Amino acid sequence: MEYRLKIQEETIPVEINSKEGNTATATIENREYDLKYTLISDNELHLMVNGKSVNVYLAKNKNGKTILLNGRTYQVQDMDNLPKGPKKKKGIDGPTTVTPPMPAVVIAVNVNEGDRVEKGQKVVVVSAMKMETTLLAPYKGIVIRVNVKESDKVMPGDILVDIDEIKDEEINELEN
Amino acid sequence: MFKKILIANRGEIALRVINTCKEMGIQTVAVYSDADEKAIHVLSSDEAVWIGSSEPLESYLNIDKIIKAAKDTNSEAIHPGYGFLAENYEFAKRCEKEGIVFIGPGSKAIKDLGDKITSRKLMVKGNVPVTPGLTSTEADVDVMAKEAKRVGYPVLIKATAGGGGKGIRIVNSPEEMAEACASASREALNAFGNGEIYFEKFFTEARHIEFQILADTFGNTIHILERECSIQRRHQKIIEETPASVLTPELREKMGAVAVAAAKAAGYVNAGTVEFLLDAENNFYFLEINTRLQVEHPVTEMITGIDLVRQQLEIAAGNKLSLKQEDIMGRGHSIECRIYAEDPANNFFPSPGKIEFLKEPKGPGIRNDCGAYSGFDVPVDYDPIISKLVVHAQTRAQAIDKMIKALKEYIILGIRTPIDFLLDVLMSEPFSKGDVFTNFIETHFSDWEENLNEKDIAAIAYVVDELCNRKIKADDCVSHTAQTPFNTLGNWRL
Repeated sequence: MEYRLKIQEETIPVEINSKEGNTATATIENREYDLKYTLISDNELHLMVNGKSVNVYLAKNKNGKTILLNGRTYQVQDMDNLPKGPKKKKGIDGPTTVTPPMPAVVIAVNVNEGDRVEKGQKVVVVSAMKMETTLLAPYKGIVIRVNVKESDKVMPGDILVDIDEIKDEEINELEN
Repeated sequence: MFKKILIANRGEIALRVINTCKEMGIQTVAVYSDADEKAIHVLSSDEAVWIGSSEPLESYLNIDKIIKAAKDTNSEAIHPGYGFLAENYEFAKRCEKEGIVFIGPGSKAIKDLGDKITSRKLMVKGNVPVTPGLTSTEADVDVMAKEAKRVGYPVLIKATAGGGGKGIRIVNSPEEMAEACASASREALNAFGNGEIYFEKFFTEARHIEFQILADTFGNTIHILERECSIQRRHQKIIEETPASVLTPELREKMGAVAVAAAKAAGYVNAGTVEFLLDAENNFYFLEINTRLQVEHPVTEMITGIDLVRQQLEIAAGNKLSLKQEDIMGRGHSIECRIYAEDPANNFFPSPGKIEFLKEPKGPGIRNDCGAYSGFDVPVDYDPIISKLVVHAQTRAQAIDKMIKALKEYIILGIRTPIDFLLDVLMSEPFSKGDVFTNFIETHFSDWEENLNEKDIAAIAYVVDELCNRKIKADDCVSHTAQTPFNTLGNWRL
């Protein structure tokens, strides 16, 4: 059986052949692994990998499985079984809207309607679990609407500030 | 001794107090909000009183409701834990007025020491060295800038009502002064209801060393050694240890004596902590006295064997300190790591939610003061601390090794924790050498990234889990008998 898994930004092809009892062999690129496994509970898996004992802990979530191994957290996704729905832009591109990552309270709004903002400019400060977090402008643009004020309670998905994106060419046009 | 006390707090610290009460045969009353209906302190206490909605002002910060709960349950005393009302002098005063014992110092000491300016003045009077800076609050940014120039940049803006790293800003140059003052003041106003600020000189390479003190109502004051708390992120301690590797026995004795003098200058009673900054030349300056049980108190308990909560209860009940300064001896080395619900790979943003699976590390010399369990929903409304993992070993090097092992065996699924980040700090060379300063994290770990070097094994685990789930459907991966260690561990012998 073949899988294409994704961990961080890396794609890992795994070929697994189930053998007698709870044993199997796996191949990742040119690396061979002899496996013996015991499922302890829904969240606990004991593996013998090439004779070496490893305890692994797993939990399913909407993006695949979270795997804890020797104190490290691996978010593993099956590339051939990705969650449906629009793909979220993440990683180096960052978020595309000004929205809190969790339920929070607005502490300060640093922009007004009509302001021109640079990518990465501080737009709104929110507080969650007693920590202040600054939300940044996702791109260069003009603030077309501020939807919140200080001490408003906000949820992930709420767009706190609408920003109309300006591409670099448009700026040149505007300035010329 | 008290027959029954109320604990005006939640989570791990409420449980910590309940545990000692159980040992002493004291009945405990927990209070809880909507979010904490199934919290561990509610499940572990003898009685529990619902006091309001999840909003802290409606529950854990609501003095009227907590006093009413204490009266309704005939509680003789209130333990405030840390945070919430622990350093609120009005709460202590109200307890005094209502004839309920506040397990902590008197309201006057809390008020004096809670105001950083008053406490600085008290210390100057008591010949305790304080950090250079202002000894009065200042609202005028220009005056702040002028004074900062005199003392020398960088300076640290602080809220007079401060604590827990809130309302603090580092200012490196006059240009940064205005914005730093505004945001520090705003954060302080939000956190403490008081936006007044001042500044102290900021030492870029200094250590944060604090002394635990105990003082009874008979005027006996002793210190219970130091804690090294230099490893901080955003001015919040994350790793604490004792003893501090930098202290010589002479310096320890000197600082301890000053800590006792500081407590006496403030008329302090009960358990408290005197915080110092120690600069590169081993000059030390008074920072503040925390008028409560510290989050990091367990490391002191580990090396001395003293139960600080028991001491607090004895002192509050009017008993004389049974310990003398010469009785206080530390043995071995202890380290604490704070485990928060936060995502180190995402700028340490809080990561609340349901804990799907939790397995605590075990073994000799390992202690985990934990406020959560498998199935518990970590609420968004409160401080994101889950537990404090503490180890005790013969030497510092052994304590580090033990902590690394314990962290690797600490399993929390469902929310993100900084365990991997803490591992990297503990395994780093500067930490193992004891080169710890308050700028340690900024200097060595500001561009920290997840170190995922066992991706193959993680991938294999994913696939094997799929395989097992498929096999379970086909009924041949696991037997139908219960999954006990006896049929899952394979062959073994005694």
